[in-house]
Amino acid sequence: MTVTAGIDVGTGAIKVAVLDVAGEQAKVLAKRVERVRQRDPLKLAADTYDQVLAEIGLKRGDVAYAATTGEGEALAFHTGHFYSMTTHARGAMWLCPEARIALDVGALHGRAIRMDGRGKVLAYKMTSQCASGSGQFLENIARYLGIAQDEIGALSRQADNPERVSGICAVLAETDVINMVSRGISAANILKGIHLSMADRLAKLVKTAGVAEGDIFMSGGLALDSGLVAAMEEAAAKEKLKARIRCNPDSIFAGAFGAALWGAYRHDKLARLAERQAA
Amino acid sequence: MRCFIGIDLGSTTTKAVLMDENLEILGRGITNSRSNYDTATAVTKQEARIGTRFTLFRKALESQARNGRAAIEAVIGDLERGFRLEQFLGQLEQLHQACARHAEDPRLADKKRAVAATLDEIFRRLRAEAPAMFAKGAARRSDFFRDNAGSRFVQIAEGLAKESGLAYEDLLHVYDKSIIEVESRVPEDDSADKFARGFARMTADGQAAFEPAALKRALDAALAVEIEETYVVGTGYGRVRLPFPKEHIRSEILCHGLGAHMMYPATRTVLDIGGQDTKGIQVDPTGIVENFQMNDRCAAGCGRYLGYIADEMNLGLHELGPMAMQATKVPRINSTCTVFAGAELRDRLALGEKREDILAGLHRAIMLRAMSIISRAGGIRDQFTFTGGVAKNAAAVRELRKLVKENYGEVHINIDPDSIYTGALGAATFARRAVN
Repeated sequence: MTVTAGIDVGTGAIKVAVLDVAGEQAKVLAKRVERVRQRDPLKLAADTYDQVLAEIGLKRGDVAYAATTGEGEALAFHTGHFYSMTTHARGAMWLCPEARIALDVGALHGRAIRMDGRGKVLAYKMTSQCASGSGQFLENIARYLGIAQDEIGALSRQADNPERVSGICAVLAETDVINMVSRGISAANILKGIHLSMADRLAKLVKTAGVAEGDIFMSGGLALDSGLVAAMEEAAAKEKLKARIRCNPDSIFAGAFGAALWGAYRHDKLARLAERQAA
Repeated sequence: MRCFIGIDLGSTTTKAVLMDENLEILGRGITNSRSNYDTATAVTKQEARIGTRFTLFRKALESQARNGRAAIEAVIGDLERGFRLEQFLGQLEQLHQACARHAEDPRLADKKRAVAATLDEIFRRLRAEAPAMFAKGAARRSDFFRDNAGSRFVQIAEGLAKESGLAYEDLLHVYDKSIIEVESRVPEDDSADKFARGFARMTADGQAAFEPAALKRALDAALAVEIEETYVVGTGYGRVRLPFPKEHIRSEILCHGLGAHMMYPATRTVLDIGGQDTKGIQVDPTGIVENFQMNDRCAAGCGRYLGYIADEMNLGLHELGPMAMQATKVPRINSTCTVFAGAELRDRLALGEKREDILAGLHRAIMLRAMSIISRAGGIRDQFTFTGGVAKNAAAVRELRKLVKENYGEVHINIDPDSIYTGALGAATFARRAVN
């Protein structure tokens, strides 16, 4: 058995997972997600890592390989770092073996990663350098509306007449939202409108990355948002994508799981190399 | 007394200027309430009236000829600190009540008691800290309740959340809901009462040069003057929703042009950096607009850019400029989008770059965007007046001066610390002109 850790440092949240890996089999020992919200991400990552280990009675020294991904490269205690493209692909395959597209929707970027049946990355597409319609955008608006993160999805699915908001600057959106509210548009319709705009953009992204066969697996923090998932299904139908949209309650950990799995793989490889050298 | 009021409904702040019939500015008011334009208008008018009372009080003291300027300033400063402290405590009480109500949220049912106890402790500390925040010489991070109370709330909540085992996120959520509620309420006009309590808080320091009875008489006289709203003109982003008939509304471009002309009659080019608009305006020698350009719908290059950065760093807007002035080098910021710049800031901090340097880079980025807007409006002519909230920011001004010199050579640049009121001043002037 090999205990490895994946630490995914995102712009919006820190995800930490500790796995017990034995060959092809892996088991989650502990996991945790912490929203950054104005705290120092690297310090938060280190603290969260220690807390997760403490939960299962382990120390840093008990971990065979601590793998970082996302913006975690600067963490001093890591054994190695993996690019988020590869970790998300690996994590998505592990959570959903039929997935051939990992659609990672995080705070700033949407990323579509196409892979083959072995998790090898074939194509990669990312949204542009403007936060309009990003996860952060949705989070900002929910805050202006006074709605908690986990209330967004259920509210959005109650919408009856969504208000489209594409192309609004994420920072200036506050005023637009105030105007919408004063025009009497319900929070449900505002949120659903955002979900639809986001989903349109993501469906186009998937199209440019290319879809051949298999399912689309949504990962990242926004995959927990049932409103976005529902909108994504609508958008996929509109774009005539045949693939099913899949997600998992642990979708947010896809990057962290992927990192831990890659960590185990590299750890075994290094161990075998060392054995061969000794012999 | 006949009074004329101009109101500039901005995206970030709403400003009011109150003047008498001789175009003398008596009071200014500003609020950050954004949730509702009616509320913002009411609050900012109330603030302008408070400012007017201070001006009238000053005039009453000046008429007691034997008092020197320094003594008068000491009294005014002392009274203002007492008044603002009373105002702050009143709002804190409202916020506490709102938080207590939102802590009843069914989502928090299982930890209701712990949340309530933690909130009580947070507010106990906030109340205890308040007098120091308004003490003589104390620097407050902002003029607004939200910033002053909010930043400390967040800090105290983070510490207490750890001790009490509550989620930091839950406390913040209660705060987010409550602050919106408190900001959307027009406070009742009890300023006479707050003046009385502020007066009672005055220290020996302020009163030294005066007979207490004479001071009280001067204050009573200032409070007794009737402030008549003879004509009100509104402008700004929210002008379509201004609670006024159409003839009481002017475009913000006209108001900013005229306002800049009122402050500096030789102005030919105006750069106004507001919350979500950056405007380049050319005016003729009488203050009439000849040409203008504005940014498109993107926050890069506007005041909100800096506001967003300040929020990211949990700093007050006032603190950004001074901090950026400490920079030793100015890195080039790669992101244009405000949200991405915020993320870039955090990455750079995590990589050990100095906060001051990154901030200087961000200030340069916003001024570069502003320069491109001016050049589309026809460039800079002599004299050049820089207005809007960002004109108070020393680091932004420094970058602007550099860029103007590089691109246009020697140009006379006017910057007034009260230039955030330029649009409201123009509107008030239009209000005065509307009545004979």
